[in-house]
Amino acid sequence: MPPGPLLERQFLEKLERLTIHWQKSFNGLVGGHNSSRFAGGGQEFLDHRHFHHGDDLRAVNWRAYLRLEKLFLKMFQVEPRVPVRMLVDTSESMNSEGGLKYVYARKLAAALCYVGLVRLDTITLQPFSSRLGEGIRCGGGRHRFSPVMEYLNGLQTEGRTNFLEVARQFISAHAQRGLLIIISDFLDDSDCERPLQHLAEFGHELLLAQVWSEEDRIPPWVGDLDLVDAETETRLRLQFDESARQQYTRAFDAYAGSLQQVAMRNGGRYVGISTAMPIEDIIFGSLVRSRVIA
Amino acid sequence: MYFLNLSLVQFLTLFGAVSVTMVLLYLLGRSRRKQVVATLRFWVASEQPPAVHKRKRIQQPLSLILQLVSMLLLLLAIAQLRFGAPMATPRDHVLILDTSAWMSAANGSRTLMDEAREKAMAYVRTVPASEHVMLVRADALTLPATAFESNRAKLEQAIARSTPGATALNIEQALAFARQAQALGSGRPGEIVYVGPGRVTAESRLISAPLPKNLRVLETSDATDNCGLRKIGVRRSAADPEVWDIYASVRNYGTAPKSLTLVLRFGGTPAGGHRFTVPPGSEREIAFAWRTRAAGLLEATLLPHDRFPEDDHAILELPPLPSLNLTVYSNEPDLLRPAVTAIPHVNATFRRVEEYRAEATNGLVILDRFRPPQPPKGDAIWIDPPAGASPIPVRTRLEGAPFDHWCSDDALCAGLRAKDLRLGSTYVFESAPDDIKIGQVREGPVIVARAGKNKTVVFGFHPGLSDLRYELATPLLFGNILRWMAPELFRRSAVAAGSAGTVTMQLDPDIRPEGVRVLQQDGSPVPFTTRGRTLRFFSGTPGTVRVLAAERETVYSLTLPELWDSKWEVPGGARRGLPVFRETASLSRDLWQVLAVLGGLGLLLEWLLFGRAEGRVRRLAARPAILRRPGVRKAS
Repeated sequence: MPPGPLLERQFLEKLERLTIHWQKSFNGLVGGHNSSRFAGGGQEFLDHRHFHHGDDLRAVNWRAYLRLEKLFLKMFQVEPRVPVRMLVDTSESMNSEGGLKYVYARKLAAALCYVGLVRLDTITLQPFSSRLGEGIRCGGGRHRFSPVMEYLNGLQTEGRTNFLEVARQFISAHAQRGLLIIISDFLDDSDCERPLQHLAEFGHELLLAQVWSEEDRIPPWVGDLDLVDAETETRLRLQFDESARQQYTRAFDAYAGSLQQVAMRNGGRYVGISTAMPIEDIIFGSLVRSRVIA
Repeated sequence: MYFLNLSLVQFLTLFGAVSVTMVLLYLLGRSRRKQVVATLRFWVASEQPPAVHKRKRIQQPLSLILQLVSMLLLLLAIAQLRFGAPMATPRDHVLILDTSAWMSAANGSRTLMDEAREKAMAYVRTVPASEHVMLVRADALTLPATAFESNRAKLEQAIARSTPGATALNIEQALAFARQAQALGSGRPGEIVYVGPGRVTAESRLISAPLPKNLRVLETSDATDNCGLRKIGVRRSAADPEVWDIYASVRNYGTAPKSLTLVLRFGGTPAGGHRFTVPPGSEREIAFAWRTRAAGLLEATLLPHDRFPEDDHAILELPPLPSLNLTVYSNEPDLLRPAVTAIPHVNATFRRVEEYRAEATNGLVILDRFRPPQPPKGDAIWIDPPAGASPIPVRTRLEGAPFDHWCSDDALCAGLRAKDLRLGSTYVFESAPDDIKIGQVREGPVIVARAGKNKTVVFGFHPGLSDLRYELATPLLFGNILRWMAPELFRRSAVAAGSAGTVTMQLDPDIRPEGVRVLQQDGSPVPFTTRGRTLRFFSGTPGTVRVLAAERETVYSLTLPELWDSKWEVPGGARRGLPVFRETASLSRDLWQVLAVLGGLGLLLEWLLFGRAEGRVRRLAARPAILRRPGVRKAS
């Protein structure tokens, strides 16, 4: 039986009034919908500065020159077209506990893609696990959404997460700075904070969407457990009780806090997403509140 | 200490099954569970010691012990553990009070019922206060008057309100009911006590079921000096419908021969009498004949009266002799006279057609070849009416048409045979679908019957002016028409006086059981059964019951009491007289409430100590996770 659509049509119609927002100012050509602090070829006056050799004479304020006999250049505000890139975690950890996280991550990616397409943004969608996978670049309106859905439906989980390698490949592949949305559980055995820091320092604005299932945060089991890591298949036998569960949850929350700190420290944003919540509540609740979309 | 609901073996089996199930579930719930998780980093962070290879199978023994003890307490509550001896529990006694018709027999200045009530009350007073008594009134039916009751005032009120019925005692049914009531009761079976003289019907004497071992009999005195009417039957004589044949059956219940006189009165006037002697324990049948056409009350009285006067007198209501007024309007009455005067109970009057008055007609009319100024207001037979006056439209008129056939599937044509008939001049009618086509020529019906509020039969020809005049079919045809128009004229009536209870009646061979109706005096139906040609119904109270079967009506005046046939021989093992009870019930004490509460508290404690953590985890899992709100930096 073929899988059903990730998102229903009624839900997509609700998404059409939203826009993806970013906080940093990026250089770029006119055509975006977020104003930048960099001056450019816009219509709205921004400021004056002294004329330097090579500046465009059409921007000289001739009235000021007649009064002050000095050349001042008018600067205009620009709303640049900024590339939006989205990385979706396809490691095996996303497929644990029934694959709920993976389905949820793809739904979230599809919803954000649709929001961007409606506002004529250009979005690059790439899967990643141990390496950066081959992505899809879409833009030009809502009618280009169908290939995105097909692409997301065809994604399969495999491998283990390696954020350092992924970050290296991403920086080398995408020189232009832009908004980088990472949808993942961020459950990498190695430290993923450093790779994220590198991405931020390179100039990308980070939006970290951490997807977790309830079992990830509060394991419901007690007693003797024989645990198997979904990515590495490492085994761990232990006795688990209520106090251990509390320690586990505290560790999980601390890790999520560290991810949040990385994002906020670099001018990015962090959203923690539980799969227990409907996707609609996340889109119109958490993401709107955090001004990822509005 | 003993269990009220379960035996020890049942209890141990149940507890063993529950314990094994609980231990298995416990071990299953705490067995090592293999689980695939997204990452191990937080599990390591929980800093729990790694599992030892030789694990203790039971890791929370107190939880298991608490669960087992709680279940043990709950099972003890279900089994109704009691302190004391099993014999010390309150008992349930059933007191069967004889309320048969015979209980109204006088014994000196008092009746047998008075004596039985006294003994019943005396028994109730001897029963310990903690024990329960159910009062059952027994005659042909066994009806409980109270539930198992420890309130002595209620029992004594119910005993005082008990009165003799109209039927005889069915002791087998009463004892079976008492056994069943004790089996279904919550207490320990006590005694089954019968209070009465033990006079039963012949069927009840042959008790097939074994008598209960806990039977006690409180016998009352037994006055058997009685002669009474068993039944009276009245029916019309086959030779002369104006004569009633009366049959009476008298039984001598005593032990000495009796000289009796049966006196009949009809409408208050003496109608006959007969003196005879009845040997002891036997019945005598006496036959009378009484001629009358009128209706009235026939009273039969047995003299002299005895200790039980209720069966010395019976009243029957005799119906009038049915008759039909028939008016023939014809200028040639001699053509119809032989056909209509041959039928009994028909008062035929012949008038000329000029004397016709629609409102003056009473009963059935025959209109012979004329157009009445006004149509008759009742049933009518039209003979060769003018074409425009016929109540059934005329299709055509034929001359010398040969008669074809009679209808074959209707009672109107029963027994009609005729061959090679030729009708001189006849109408052929345009009949409606519901009309009965009695006689037909090839072109259509010539004699048509139409049912409705007023029944109508139309002849297309005059039977006295055709070949039909010489046929036997003519008087038969008029007889069938009158039977169809006035069925009550041909109904055979019989009246019987009998006793309430089960009535058995033999049906005629030509009667179909599905056409039988049994009705009370108010017209409400009485349930009945038919097996073969035997019809049986039951009437628990005196009254009148009518049995309608085809053209036969039997009226049962069930006013005589149903008396016994024999005396019930009390078995030798049965106890007699008032008992002496010991007050022992207070030694037994119920514990199930305490055990149930303790079991529930144990389960609650186990949940608070060990199960709440699981519940909290489930609650946390069900609660939406708190999403962290990121800090917002102002765009530079």
